[in-house]
Amino acid sequence: MTFNYFVSFFFIVLGLFCIITRHNLFKVVIGMSVVDYGTNLLIVSIGASNKGTAPIYAEGEILPGTWFVDPIPQALTLTSIVIGACITAMALSLVIKIYHRYGTLDTREIRRLHG
Amino acid sequence: MENFPILAIMTLFMGAFINSLAGRRSYKARCAIVFTTMAISLILVLAMVPSVMGGGEIVCYWMGGWAPEADWAYGIGLEVDALSLFFGLIVTIAVMISGVYSFTYMKHDDSQVNFYTLFLMLAGSVLGLVLSGDLFNIFVMVEIMTFTAVALTAFRNDTEGALEGAFKYLVVGSLGSMSILVGTILIYACLHTLNLAQIAQMAIHARNPVMVIAFGFLFVGFCTKAFMFPFQPLAADAHAVAPASISMMISGVLTKCGVYGLIRLVYVLFQNIGQTHVQYLVTGMGCVTMFICVTMAFNQHNFKRLLAFHSISQVGYVVTALGLGTALGLSAGLYHAINHTLFKGLLFLVAGAVQHQTGTLDLDELGGLSKKMPRTTALFLIGAASISGIPPFNGFASKWMIYQAAFSKAVNTDNFFYLLVCGVALITSVLTLASFVKVAQSAFFGQCSVLCRDAEDCEKGMLVPMSVLAVLCVVLGLIPDQFGTLFLKPAAGAAMDPGVYISAMLRGADATVMPAIYGYVGAWNPVFFIVLLLIVTVGVTIYSVSAPLRRPEPLAEGDVEDEHVLPENAKYEPFFSGEESVHSHVGGSDLFWGFKENWKKYFSFWHDWHSGIVNDYELYGVVFLAAALIYCMLFV
Repeated sequence: MTFNYFVSFFFIVLGLFCIITRHNLFKVVIGMSVVDYGTNLLIVSIGASNKGTAPIYAEGEILPGTWFVDPIPQALTLTSIVIGACITAMALSLVIKIYHRYGTLDTREIRRLHG
Repeated sequence: MENFPILAIMTLFMGAFINSLAGRRSYKARCAIVFTTMAISLILVLAMVPSVMGGGEIVCYWMGGWAPEADWAYGIGLEVDALSLFFGLIVTIAVMISGVYSFTYMKHDDSQVNFYTLFLMLAGSVLGLVLSGDLFNIFVMVEIMTFTAVALTAFRNDTEGALEGAFKYLVVGSLGSMSILVGTILIYACLHTLNLAQIAQMAIHARNPVMVIAFGFLFVGFCTKAFMFPFQPLAADAHAVAPASISMMISGVLTKCGVYGLIRLVYVLFQNIGQTHVQYLVTGMGCVTMFICVTMAFNQHNFKRLLAFHSISQVGYVVTALGLGTALGLSAGLYHAINHTLFKGLLFLVAGAVQHQTGTLDLDELGGLSKKMPRTTALFLIGAASISGIPPFNGFASKWMIYQAAFSKAVNTDNFFYLLVCGVALITSVLTLASFVKVAQSAFFGQCSVLCRDAEDCEKGMLVPMSVLAVLCVVLGLIPDQFGTLFLKPAAGAAMDPGVYISAMLRGADATVMPAIYGYVGAWNPVFFIVLLLIVTVGVTIYSVSAPLRRPEPLAEGDVEDEHVLPENAKYEPFFSGEESVHSHVGGSDLFWGFKENWKKYFSFWHDWHSGIVNDYELYGVVFLAAALIYCMLFV
């Protein structure tokens, strides 16, 4: 499981690095998505268990020694994925509008509000 | 009673849906739907005030009836204590006023149905955030809030820079959302619960590195939502381009969510405000923010962008006060929080009215509006006096409490840092006043500019909400003691005593918490200041009445003809020498040119720092996140 944590934080840092260094608006949006994936992987890893199965049991079936994964992080991940998809859609629609208006996708030229 | 919180939140969300179905028909139907939903929500929140604020009751509601079993919370809960209700009141009142203002202000825009749908969703998410008792729920509400606020910022997408401001807000704001999510998840990994009361109960017994990191992430997340220091460019961009009623929502309500999150985090969840290093962290953040933002406001030419920097500067005051960790500090912070919503809302609505009537927000193009829009000018002066902390308005009462809190903290702990805090707060207040003198001079007084020739006072639909805010500004300034006993004391007491919060949610749970020390200290007596004000007014009146006696001889006919050939610096002369024959308007950027010339390096540094490039803003945010995490690992 430790490996998962490393990978998830690697994704988060990679995404942030991408947002900071890339000047293309699309790449910035991709960076945001990568951060999102890293976070989702982190959430799932926290609830996961190597021996675990799906947490679908009837009452009385759970005995000592039964392993199952924690369902709450999975529910949280689903919510987080949906939110991430909305944010990406919103960002991309803004990028389209910005391109129509500014005629460029370079962040260094999209700075009418500054100072 | 226990259904009231969920009904108040659901009404707003249902209103958004009903509006998008039925609001398309006509303007009246839309207004009726939006007004009804806002009114119902406000009444439901007000109905909880007597028992929660007065009786100290805590309203708990478990979604789907999933009440805790064996002291372990499974379901999603809503918990309304006095602190939540205090912020709930701020939110619903601001939403009501902003919504009513929008009816007239947005009348000429197209696709208004979408505007009100987003507006009600924003209102619902913010109310859901402050009334929620579940950490993940808070994250979801934060995301809905950011999402709708971004959409509303870009609503008038033909405005210069609207899309750009919205995009930056979305990208850098998502850093804050990510921080809150990661913090939530790390807490879940340690404690296996998401319920606020249960986290508060267990967190003090679980001091390990993961919890410290979680604290750092949550701290940065809520700082982003309150637009604290490295994130203030977002607020400036978003405020300047959004419609005025949305600027009011962003400054008055969204930043309060960040402040609420910070209070919950340090006072209730982790209960670590007693540690000196946490106090340094929170107070230091507030101080840096308030000073840098107020100096940034000096450079601005755009009315709303200037107000945006002031808004963040005032939030800095709130955070400074609550970081002191004393009962007086927290109540001062809460008092300033509600005052900030009132006066800042008023100022943004005034700016909106000016834009609505003249079509511009550029301070250099405005001028002489006091003759054309006298009522708006009067309202502006009330707002400006409040924000600059002039008695007897509300800004003075709460700022006085903040100075008092910082100073008594410095005396009690013998710590030079808090004395410095007190000094920075005073200087910031002076600079705020200077900055508003500039706005008043360049937009409202002086010579009438070309654009302002045909301006006239705005319609009743806009004047009434502004007047309500102005009246509230004056009233809250005149009755600080009564307001303190009725609202601040219960709210601050709720935050200082998390044990009550825990045992109300998990009945019979063991609640070992830090001891509650709460004594409310009377802040100031407005009567003395009214007397002082009267004396000063009488003095000024006598002086100006006797002015004709002292007026110099008018210039001879021949001297006036070379009026067109002015010396190079003639522009500044009338202001500094009082010469009446040469009449020219001193623009906003010229008023403090000497001050700005002396501090040129400082100002140009911060001017370049706000580069407008989204990559840079993200970099500042990430550096701040890293620094906060390292600080937490080392000291907390």
